[in-house]
Amino acid sequence: MAAATLRGVLWQRTAARLWAARAAVAAPSGARGASEMSKDLMPGPYPRTPEERAAAAKKYNMRVEDYEPYPDDGFGYGDYPKLPNKSFHERDPWYPWDQPDMRHNWGEPMHWDFDMYIRNRVDTSPTPVPWHTMRKHFLIFLSTMLIMFGLGEIFPAYRPVGPKQYPFNDLYLERGGDPNKEPPVVMHYEI
Amino acid sequence: MGAHLARRYLGDAETEPDPLQMPTFPAELGLPDRRPRAMVATARQLAEGQVPLEQRDFCAHHLLRLLRCHRDAFPVPWQCRDLRHAWDACQHHDYVMRMKEFERERRLLQRQKRLRRREEAAAAATAQ
Repeated sequence: MAAATLRGVLWQRTAARLWAARAAVAAPSGARGASEMSKDLMPGPYPRTPEERAAAAKKYNMRVEDYEPYPDDGFGYGDYPKLPNKSFHERDPWYPWDQPDMRHNWGEPMHWDFDMYIRNRVDTSPTPVPWHTMRKHFLIFLSTMLIMFGLGEIFPAYRPVGPKQYPFNDLYLERGGDPNKEPPVVMHYEI
Repeated sequence: MGAHLARRYLGDAETEPDPLQMPTFPAELGLPDRRPRAMVATARQLAEGQVPLEQRDFCAHHLLRLLRCHRDAFPVPWQCRDLRHAWDACQHHDYVMRMKEFERERRLLQRQKRLRRREEAAAAATAQ
């Protein structure tokens, strides 16, 4: 029991020394790694004055005429630019992009939803046929099919033969009829 | 094949039989010595043979023999040709009987219409 207590005390002391050594070389809280951007390169609050707009446009590598932030309606976009909602499918595939798989150049401002607009995901490229023409053709086809099916239900097609004749009162017992009741008599004749 | 459909839907539906409402006339009308159809296999045999309900018709005795032959001659598939032909021939005659029933119904409807027209003409003649 004494040995166990001694070993417990020695282990606690070692742990305390390790913990102090770790704390001595740890970075203070709130510090960032050297690979991160500086504070003036990060997004900031919504720009109010023209000077703030110019500074934000320069920060995002955009012209002041092109720079348009998201409206300040409480959704937390800050001064991030509002870029057109076009996916990477619409970009020129033959242009020598810096990142050919992303069709994106270094330093180009990225869309807020860029991870949605990559070429594996949402495609906003225009359809070969106008949308309204496609919708009209689809509705014409669908309505024609439904009308024809409906007509087929109202006016069914059949062969010019009588119904098939079954024995044992139209298989009364086989079809689940009550064996205690008298079945309705069905007689079939030769013709 | 579509003539009866055209007559029913676009023409005179009065003389075209509706297969869902057949038969509408008594069986002995015009055929005084009609024999009832004979069922050879019993209901118990069909139940023990586990024949599907749609196939328990008046040709089921041929089907039972055919099924027994298939079971005994497996895996040789060409041994039961005669029994298969007997069943198919019976089904064919059954279908021809259905066609005749349809035609009988149609002619009786036409006769009914003729009789009614004659009565109306007679009633109109006496009324004048």
